[in-house]
Amino acid sequence: MKDVDGQNPSAPSDPISAWRLRAIFFFFSAGFIYVAVGLGYRQLAQNDFLTNQSDNQSRRVVIRPPSRGKIFDRNGYVLVDNRVRWSVKADLLALQPEFRKEYLDLLNKEKARFPDRRPDYDQLQQTARLNVLNAWLNKIWFVIDSTNQKAAKGSAKVKSTPDLHPEERMVHPDALRKHLNERRALKFPLILDLAFPNSGHAVTPEEGNRAVARFIEQFPVHGPITLEADMVRSYPNGKLAAHVLGYVRDSDILKGQLDDVIEDEFVNLQKLGYTGKKGADGIEATYNEVLSGRSGWELWTKTSSGYNKDLLKLSAPVQGANVTLSLDTKIQKSAEEALAKIVDSQGKPLPAAAVMLDVNTGEILALASQPSFDPNEMADRVTQIYFDQVNADGGWLNRSTQGLYPPGSTFKLITATAGMRANKIDWDDILDCGPSYMVGGRAFPEHEPSGYGQVDLEKMLAVSCNVWNYQVGLRTGPENLAKEARRFGLDTPLLRKPSEHDNHSTTELPNPATRMVVPDRAYKQRVAGEAWTDGDTANTSIGQGYLLTTPLHMACLAASIARGETRTTPSIIHDPGRDGRHAGAEPIGLTTPQLHALREGMVRCVEEGTAKSVRIQGLPYAAKTGTSEYFKKGEKAHLAWIVGYAPADNPVVAFCVLVEGQLDTSTWGGKTAGPVARDMIMAWQSAAEEK
Amino acid sequence: MSLSWAWLFLLLATFPWLLGVDLLSDAMAASGVCLFISGAAIIAPCRRLRRWQAVLFSGCVGFLFESLRPIPDGSVALLLVFVAIYLTSHRDAIRDLPKMFAAAVVVNALACSAWFIAAGLAHTKEVPLVSLHFLGQWLLHLLLATILAVLLLVPLTLVQNFAMDRIGVPQPDEAV
Amino acid sequence: MDNNRQGAKASYVALVFFIGLWLILPSAVRRFNREAFAEFQAPALHLVGKGRDLARYWELKSRSPEELAAASRDLARINAALELKLHSLDDARKENIRLREMLRYPQSTEFVTVVARVSIRETSSWWQRIVIRKGRSDGVRPGCPVVFGDRVIGRVSTVHLTTSEVDLVTSPGFRCTAFLEGDEQYHVVHVSGRAGLSLSAPRALVSIIPLEYNPPAGQIAKVMTTGLGGVFPSGLTLGTLEAGVQSTAEKHMQTGALTPAKELNFIQEVSVLIPKYPTAGEILLTPADKPEEFR
Repeated sequence: MKDVDGQNPSAPSDPISAWRLRAIFFFFSAGFIYVAVGLGYRQLAQNDFLTNQSDNQSRRVVIRPPSRGKIFDRNGYVLVDNRVRWSVKADLLALQPEFRKEYLDLLNKEKARFPDRRPDYDQLQQTARLNVLNAWLNKIWFVIDSTNQKAAKGSAKVKSTPDLHPEERMVHPDALRKHLNERRALKFPLILDLAFPNSGHAVTPEEGNRAVARFIEQFPVHGPITLEADMVRSYPNGKLAAHVLGYVRDSDILKGQLDDVIEDEFVNLQKLGYTGKKGADGIEATYNEVLSGRSGWELWTKTSSGYNKDLLKLSAPVQGANVTLSLDTKIQKSAEEALAKIVDSQGKPLPAAAVMLDVNTGEILALASQPSFDPNEMADRVTQIYFDQVNADGGWLNRSTQGLYPPGSTFKLITATAGMRANKIDWDDILDCGPSYMVGGRAFPEHEPSGYGQVDLEKMLAVSCNVWNYQVGLRTGPENLAKEARRFGLDTPLLRKPSEHDNHSTTELPNPATRMVVPDRAYKQRVAGEAWTDGDTANTSIGQGYLLTTPLHMACLAASIARGETRTTPSIIHDPGRDGRHAGAEPIGLTTPQLHALREGMVRCVEEGTAKSVRIQGLPYAAKTGTSEYFKKGEKAHLAWIVGYAPADNPVVAFCVLVEGQLDTSTWGGKTAGPVARDMIMAWQSAAEEK
Repeated sequence: MSLSWAWLFLLLATFPWLLGVDLLSDAMAASGVCLFISGAAIIAPCRRLRRWQAVLFSGCVGFLFESLRPIPDGSVALLLVFVAIYLTSHRDAIRDLPKMFAAAVVVNALACSAWFIAAGLAHTKEVPLVSLHFLGQWLLHLLLATILAVLLLVPLTLVQNFAMDRIGVPQPDEAV
Repeated sequence: MDNNRQGAKASYVALVFFIGLWLILPSAVRRFNREAFAEFQAPALHLVGKGRDLARYWELKSRSPEELAAASRDLARINAALELKLHSLDDARKENIRLREMLRYPQSTEFVTVVARVSIRETSSWWQRIVIRKGRSDGVRPGCPVVFGDRVIGRVSTVHLTTSEVDLVTSPGFRCTAFLEGDEQYHVVHVSGRAGLSLSAPRALVSIIPLEYNPPAGQIAKVMTTGLGGVFPSGLTLGTLEAGVQSTAEKHMQTGALTPAKELNFIQEVSVLIPKYPTAGEILLTPADKPEEFR
């Protein structure tokens, strides 16, 4: 046996050879069949291969948006940040074989069911893609849902993802179609943000982290489904200073200037862009160019079906520059918290605004407006429901800079100054003030039914006597009142950027009010077509009538009085090198005793007058309250004002608070707006003490 | 003992050497290199075994190497089978010792390359295939594979020949 | 000779035929083949490991009684200290359970520990694996974490009957989430194995480190598991963050290299943590146990 096996295997006489011949015959037949089948198969495979080869000749450029610069407050506290967004994406090119298999399955089923009908190939292809992606998505949800891990018996179960409707866990057909039409080269996002797995439906950071961790640790590492991390805008303090900060929305980065971004030789290639972001409100909008940074690009080869294949070259995006605001987070927070306490009878916050400035530099330390919005809700996609909801509440309006209101009794500061500068009254003149004052045959009332009797400047400011102002206003005349109001800049638009920053936006915050009204004879003639009356003068002297201004203007007025000047240029940008000079400012033009009396009146307002309820033990400050009337949706309502500065003897901050009252008379300057001012001053004090 | 099982006995005789080289790699783990001898291990058997036996033997040597490593199945084994077919039909290429050395170096280097490139292809996501690092690492492994083939061929052949003698596999000249 | 050459042609044809067959065969067949050869080697690998144990045994046996006495004294001390620690840990565990129930916080995964000896390691530049002497018959399942004390070694990638292959932390097949020591905000970072460059050891990469993170001054930051993913228990050490964290090209995140906690090249014994209940990922990968919706 050994010999036979070992030697000369092909001896013709060997009986085994016949068996071998048959084996060889069989072997070759099988081989032939295989080759024939294989040839056909190869032909197809080879075909694909060759097609691919030619595809790779073409290239395209993909533009990547940069991450935006951060926004800090004056103390370096982060107001706007970028947070890591984890998204689960599907590589459509790698999924092609799966799509194809599913498509053929569907096609066969369709043909079996309706043999006579011509199938809708496009529809089948779309369905096949959807089926495959949904199957993957199903698996992803299964893995990231922590309830799918059995825990010990009896233990509490917590969901890591919110309960979603089955449809919300599916790929949206339109989204897929849009993606395939517009940017099929890029990976298809199955779950855009694991921290916001459902549009607008956030989970807690802890739950978001858990979903990320479960995916990373439990989902297969290699495969068509990948986890990508990029940066998205995040507002760590939620609604805080939302009107100042603004929000971002999607932008088409291909529309921007790309020629200086991409290398010249690639400029003419087909371009494709990821979704970029641009500022849509607040600082995000007005300083968009500073914050934006520069886009990066990637050079890819592409297949004939339009997918990206190999990355050839890339240039990373450059992050935008940071912006430092003059806001002080502590004061801002206290202002917003205090505003939130002012509610109507149903417990809903009343519309209100609060501003605090640095008296010397004019830098804005706090700028709040209520109702507000959460920019985080807008960071990824504007949900129409949220947008409409904010809209219905009037939350988009920045009442501090855009809201126009009659200043009410706070205007008495200007009436008094105008009277003294026109030499119609002096600081120690005493006027007799009864319960009302007759002007043009009509009795203009005092807000105190019994009247205030003998009133000088200080007492007037303390108790906010109307009759004193009627008399002084009439003596001074409407032209002088208007001139004085304009001298203090009550109708000058604020927040202009210094000219060297003049580029995209000319103002530091979007659309600050420009239609302030300081009325005079010509104004009334123009608007109402009527002649000016003494009644108009009386109304103007107590800040009613046609007068319209913003809370920021009134805060600037307080800061100017504190410095003994006429103008304060506010700014929301922090600049340590500010010299305290203000555009158009001139000395207030009062004698020392007059200015002293004006200031003393404001101090007495807090110590014993209308703002008595909000005085701060150990920190005297100066204030003037106001309660004006205005028409809200056609009905008369009250506005509560308080303006002032603190501390009384060495002013550092100036403030203004405004609250839009309800349709009743429960809103009063000192009582309603005062607590907000008090809280802001105390927050400023504690912040100053910390430093 | 049936001669048809010669390849299996030879495999058992060769296995400790393969294992030994794996253990040596293990001891050198910190350097990040793998030692490779599977190519040189088929030279002596190819001189004396019949073709189908040599083919089985080479395939098994290849699959043994692959079984614990995450590389595409068959990449080393099928190459070794091809080499075995070639060598058994060109036995004069490994007739004497110098020729055997040459063959051992070539085959070991070839199989090592196949393994290295296949492993790289299986990990294209992590391994930059077209890079100096890849080339450097490859050359390093090739160098080690040739050195190891030269060093281990003689003892390996002695052991394999001894085993084949015991089983009764005919001498090379008779087998042709 | 001629005969030989002619036969060779047939053999080449057969080989081509076989290669074709090999390519179109169901992957299960290839897997079976791989499995069979792995099992063939398993006894030898066991033997090697046993041989190492024996060597260690004789080495210990040759120690002098004085040395042994000293060692036993040290051991007794450590024992006493550990005993004390165990006691306080028990209280902490009870408190932990109570708090978890109060907060309705998910129960952490429970594990069964299996100790295994390393039989062989397979560390080339682009994979990092060890083979351990515990397999399916010991309850080891793919995906189980492999640790040494409180240090992570890797994860089980393939399980054979009596042996398992473990992807080390530095293997490209390994990834998990981690917290960095000194990061008070507990940002989740990503740890994944990377192929090494020529003549350099493979390493693991720590990515998605927030820009504002700074390693604690004067010390090397530990990288610890989060315990959020349901695979690794929390607080295990993955390694330390090598100095020189770099920001990415886009300058909005940082990456750094990870030095594994345990010298992976010399490790002799590991523990496999087998979750009491299969994780969702495991269920997904095991066809038989797939939930209704995936069948």
